[in-house]
Amino acid sequence: MAESPSTSSSPSSERAGKILQFAPFQSLVDDGFWRRLSSLKLDTLGIDQSPIPITGFYAPCSHAQVSNHMTLLAESLPHDPSLRSSPTEMTRGNRNKCPVPGILYNTNTLESFHALDRESLLKAEAKKILEDIFSGKVEEDSASLSRFLLISFADLKKWSFRYWFAFPALVLDPPATLLNLQPALEAFNLEEAESLSAACNEWRNSSLTADIPFFLVSFASSSHVTLRPLKDWEACQVDGQKLLFGFYDPCHLPNNPGWPLRNFLAFISLRWNMEKICFLCYREKHGLADLGLSLVGEALVSPPQAWRDPQCVPKAVGWELKRGKLAYRTINLAESMDPERLAVSAADLNLKLMRWRTLPSLNLNVLAGVRCLLLGAGTLGCQVARMLMAWGVRKITLLDSGRVAMSNPVRQSLYTFEDCLNGGDLKAVAAARSLKHIFPAVEAEGIKLAIPMPGHPVPAHEADGVLDDCKHLQSLVASHDVIFLLTDTRESRWLPTLFCANLNKIAITAALGFDSYLVMRHGAGPLGCMSDSSNKVEDMSTVVAQVETSLTIGGDKGQRLGCYFCNDVVAPIDSTSNRTLDQQCTVTRPGLAPIASALAAELLVGILHHPNRIHAPGEIATSIMSNSEQPFGILPHQIRGSIPQFSQMTLVGYSSNSCTACSTTVVSEYRRRGMEFILQAINQPTYLEDLTGLTELMKSASSFKLDWDNETDDDADV
Amino acid sequence: MGGHCLWDGTLSPNDFIASADDLTKKWMAINPNLPQWTWIPCQRMDVSCNAEGYLALENMYQLSASEVNAPTDDENYSAEEAPFDNATLIQSYNDDMHIYDFHIVYSFSYQVPVLYFRGYRCDGHPLHLCDIEKDLPPYSSKIRNESKWTFMTQEEHPYLCCPWYTLHPCGTSDWMKLLLGGDLPSKNPDMLHYLSAWLSVVGQTVGLRIPLELHDKSI
Repeated sequence: MAESPSTSSSPSSERAGKILQFAPFQSLVDDGFWRRLSSLKLDTLGIDQSPIPITGFYAPCSHAQVSNHMTLLAESLPHDPSLRSSPTEMTRGNRNKCPVPGILYNTNTLESFHALDRESLLKAEAKKILEDIFSGKVEEDSASLSRFLLISFADLKKWSFRYWFAFPALVLDPPATLLNLQPALEAFNLEEAESLSAACNEWRNSSLTADIPFFLVSFASSSHVTLRPLKDWEACQVDGQKLLFGFYDPCHLPNNPGWPLRNFLAFISLRWNMEKICFLCYREKHGLADLGLSLVGEALVSPPQAWRDPQCVPKAVGWELKRGKLAYRTINLAESMDPERLAVSAADLNLKLMRWRTLPSLNLNVLAGVRCLLLGAGTLGCQVARMLMAWGVRKITLLDSGRVAMSNPVRQSLYTFEDCLNGGDLKAVAAARSLKHIFPAVEAEGIKLAIPMPGHPVPAHEADGVLDDCKHLQSLVASHDVIFLLTDTRESRWLPTLFCANLNKIAITAALGFDSYLVMRHGAGPLGCMSDSSNKVEDMSTVVAQVETSLTIGGDKGQRLGCYFCNDVVAPIDSTSNRTLDQQCTVTRPGLAPIASALAAELLVGILHHPNRIHAPGEIATSIMSNSEQPFGILPHQIRGSIPQFSQMTLVGYSSNSCTACSTTVVSEYRRRGMEFILQAINQPTYLEDLTGLTELMKSASSFKLDWDNETDDDADV
Repeated sequence: MGGHCLWDGTLSPNDFIASADDLTKKWMAINPNLPQWTWIPCQRMDVSCNAEGYLALENMYQLSASEVNAPTDDENYSAEEAPFDNATLIQSYNDDMHIYDFHIVYSFSYQVPVLYFRGYRCDGHPLHLCDIEKDLPPYSSKIRNESKWTFMTQEEHPYLCCPWYTLHPCGTSDWMKLLLGGDLPSKNPDMLHYLSAWLSVVGQTVGLRIPLELHDKSI
């Protein structure tokens, strides 16, 4: 063993030499630690703020450019916090995880986190180290020299964690001086070096010693090196061997030892009354001792006398710096811990997988951004809402004037028994609430509103209320992109259809008979887009100009597809004598609503992906199984199906010039007269028919009837 | 002569274990200076059985692209000056060293290996996928964007029960069939080298430097 190292320029005086500077410990907290702390806090600890014993792990440096860290993992926290009573219970480590005792002060509020007296907490830990040194505990459990402190505040609403480590180091005054420091290879001859490596590797490979970070390196005179535990100190004195004090050094730097040496030097000088201490900073590479990376040095240490006083509270440093400053660290784990966020990414993943594997043209952004208004929160409304959510639609507004009735939950998939109690919750509100229970990230709103209906005159004192309702409905239509007409009467569909036709909004109707259904999309409005809401009354000349423009538009794009009322030759007031759907028909086969609702949602997805959107032409299913260019398949106009036949067909219908809801006549009259027009339609049963000339049409139709009656007597052609 | 048994690109759990061992040895022989693959046996119901486990490659250091580190933490806290202690070395902080862990886990439902990976900063803060993508070499993002076989998602690690990033396995058997079974469909594919072959493709997607020798069956 070289007594006077050849490489360094050591001064002759023992007191000279530069101040020994130690590289501070760096912390690394695996996010599993925060998870475990969160569940401990939520499940077990509650508001208990008692300090929690924890275990850190570190290993000797294994990389020439990167230091090793003091690591916290999920298993750093006690399995059972009631083990607080036995803090000596230590986790058994392995060669890569030397357990180090620590203590965690986790506060319940941010204020108490900031209010913690960091100085006294640090001093308390430093005092524990000093006590362990004098009591002999260090010889038994040397890792306690590196005991550490962690303060934290876990915000379990936002899943963010503020934390701060301290690695208490007893401050020597005067500080330790470095006499020399060199790579271990240069401090020994070849034989010694080989023997040292072998001894270290043996220590590292034995499960009994692999996780013990402080040890004695004993050089027998025959250059035979052994590693001995600290408690063998006395035994080693007897032989008169040369002793080196070794420790696992996490630091990689060639000119500085790591932090554990600081308290180690204090221990050695206090316990064994040594002033000049030779030490080995043990580092490795690929699991083997690396004497090029490892350092050997000599330091001069003189501990303050005051430390020997049992009452002494030693001066200590060790709060971890953040970017060179004294500040705590924050980590936000909402993305991977917040269950709501996880639900969102899981739902998104499902759709993304669909897009990746089979439907590359699926536009998830469009679906997530489309604002859907569902008129009616009954069998159809509930089911359409669910289907939309399954497609990734996030903005859903439900409108209904009723309350949940006892008969509803079995058929209307958003309601439960609880919603029926005490007279029943408002359907729209209960439905929106239910959507949020299913998927918290949905932006669902429920609005109680009765849709004013034509042919249902209102008494004068209610006129203002009805007017407000009309305006409210109009503004809802204006503020959404897609309107689903899912009510249970024909009349209630009129006003929304008119509003959609006027504002050129996508409208999708679903209507149920007893055992048949209709799902259709309305065609585009007759007059093109309005730049603003059409509450403004317009003068005739503007309207005429728009009519002329619309005729041109119609010419370019082909005829408009029809709306729900286009096929009817009766105004929407006469729902008693004609066998159309929606005849106050609240009794339907249960299977219909889910089928129709699913089709309505699929139809919407098709529209949103079509380049022409609302102007897309209607297609019908052909018997030829062609590989459609459109990945979503055909985009029908109407789908009519029946359960008795288990059949379904696609139809196309064009707009009627006499339509009471979407014809040019009606829409332009509405634009000209606004709410006044609507109120007239509501109060005057025959007004719409007169306006559109349906009255005329019916007259001429009945005049034909007589002739047909005559002809049926003939049994000519069948 | 009759129908040959067409291999579907999957491998059995036993083959996975054998192939894992082969990969570990090959890697050690080719890359002794890199971190090594370790087999981690799994505990199920407190019974440690070597018959189930996964391969782990941890602590791969990666210097990230120079980050103008926009600190996400609140820097409002007025940082005090550290009390002067002349025995503490003032260190330059290196926020730009990233650490990566890779696990190869067997999927019982797809019957193929699945790559799980995660990255984190030096202080343990996990990296988001967008940060990881910045660390990957350009050829890797090209592969991910163009290939229809690669799809990165965040999933729960089957053994560690926390979210890791993974390459979705649903296409794996298809391209493994092409990779290993292509030439002679009637011949049984070389299952022992399954993982090496698989890793040589999948590794590129995540920028894991896979040496060419891994393909070489003579090693």
